[in-house]
Amino acid sequence: MKFDWTFFFQSLLTPSPAFLTGLILTIVISVVSMALALVLGTLIALMGRSRFPILRWVAGIYVWIVRGTPLLVQLMIIYLGFAAIGLFKFEDLTILGISLLAAVQAAILGLTINESAYVAEIVRAGLESVDRGQTEASMALGMRPGAAMRWIILPQAMRIIIPPLGNNFNGLMKNTSVLSIIGVSEMFLVAQAISSATFKTFEILIVAAIYYLALTTIWAFAQALIERKLNAQVGNDSAAVPVFKRVFAPRVRKQLVLEGAENA
Amino acid sequence: MPDSPATLAAPEVLVSANKVCRSLGGRPILSDVSTEIRRGEVVVLIGPSGAGKTTFLRTINHLEQIDSGDLFVNGHRVGYRKLDSGRLIEDSTRTLAKQREEIGFVFQHFNLFPHMSVLENIWHAPVRVRKIPKQAAVADARRLLARVGLADKADKRPASLSGGQQQRVAIARGLAMKPELMLFDEPTSALDPEMIGEVLDVMKELAQDQMTMVVVTHEMGFAREVADRIIVMDAGRIIESGSPDQIFNNPQNPRTSSFLSKIL
Repeated sequence: MKFDWTFFFQSLLTPSPAFLTGLILTIVISVVSMALALVLGTLIALMGRSRFPILRWVAGIYVWIVRGTPLLVQLMIIYLGFAAIGLFKFEDLTILGISLLAAVQAAILGLTINESAYVAEIVRAGLESVDRGQTEASMALGMRPGAAMRWIILPQAMRIIIPPLGNNFNGLMKNTSVLSIIGVSEMFLVAQAISSATFKTFEILIVAAIYYLALTTIWAFAQALIERKLNAQVGNDSAAVPVFKRVFAPRVRKQLVLEGAENA
Repeated sequence: MPDSPATLAAPEVLVSANKVCRSLGGRPILSDVSTEIRRGEVVVLIGPSGAGKTTFLRTINHLEQIDSGDLFVNGHRVGYRKLDSGRLIEDSTRTLAKQREEIGFVFQHFNLFPHMSVLENIWHAPVRVRKIPKQAAVADARRLLARVGLADKADKRPASLSGGQQQRVAIARGLAMKPELMLFDEPTSALDPEMIGEVLDVMKELAQDQMTMVVVTHEMGFAREVADRIIVMDAGRIIESGSPDQIFNNPQNPRTSSFLSKIL
């Protein structure tokens, strides 16, 4: 076994422009897809609570299909399947001076659809966690359903919604590696290309793994900060746990135990 | 004009119910409930649990739907338009919200908004719903908070208050909308015994200030002392109605006697 330390550190500390472009594309696709999925997923969740049965039905079927099929299959259907049957073919586009390759469009669409189903379930659970009495109190004060949602229900649901959403974004960033299959030159595809050009397969894959780990770790800190802020807003004591500890400590079990003790 | 009966030309009648019926799953909850409540009157609804007291109270601001009958508050039909055929068509959420602005509702479990300070709980609806300038609404909220004896709790979260204090805030929140009518749904049933008095005291003061009140309660001392009229309900019907003296000392209906003998 021969590990090429020079190549490893070179790739890690002074990555090639192609690798950096891949890294940026990974970040951009993740952020854009998540943002779109938040909007779409919230819409699906609200449809699921509609008083019109047809909307609830559509939302239910959507979540059922999207969550019940693999992301990779969904991406292939959107990018290759639709084109093959003559339904829809992605073309390279230039919007506001930014060129969007066909594969990138398909990637964003696929990730958005896939993620939106999970977002919908998270938002739904969050909305359901808010006591029915809150809606009644809002209505009794003359608020219309939209105002009650905006001022009373959503702010309370947020506290429930944010932690799992953060975890999902973490998963989404890692899932972008799947996009290499449809030829999106994100970080993992670039890493594979470098690997076949240099035969330093192990080294470059470790470098890619370290970059993914850096991305998810930075996000974990951001998420901990957001959660701390949200908890502070409602006067929750767990705000006192330092961010560093929240990211690295095996916190789930510990917090459950603490919360249980407080309630007792 | 089915929506403006002649009897309501007299402005002193604030609530008028005529043969209000409601059933759930084929089981009647309200059967032909008819009564009139005058401006400034304090009416207490009593009766065994399951009698329909709370359901009737909730129909007055349309938190509960009705199947048939006529229900007016201040000359306006509550919750519905009535077609010439006699069918009731539920109002739009906008109309419902408008109607509810004029009717305060105090819940058994307070239903304060936990993500807001005590003060914001009170000024929120006047600002967001009534569109009162925030400065004026906040000043008004402070005045109301002082009136219920909680001026020093303005910046606290509801969760840090005792049950009795929370219910007093809830009453202030209702009053902030300057309603013509206040409805109380078992306002002291969820309280520890030592806190019942402070809430009843606030309600007594309100009654002295000529607020029109409809109160569902099991506090017979309060009913005897404060009520202008007591309505006794059983099995979804009004079985008797009269002054406290009549009801407590000379009940006409044997079921009233039997109910009172169980709780007094």
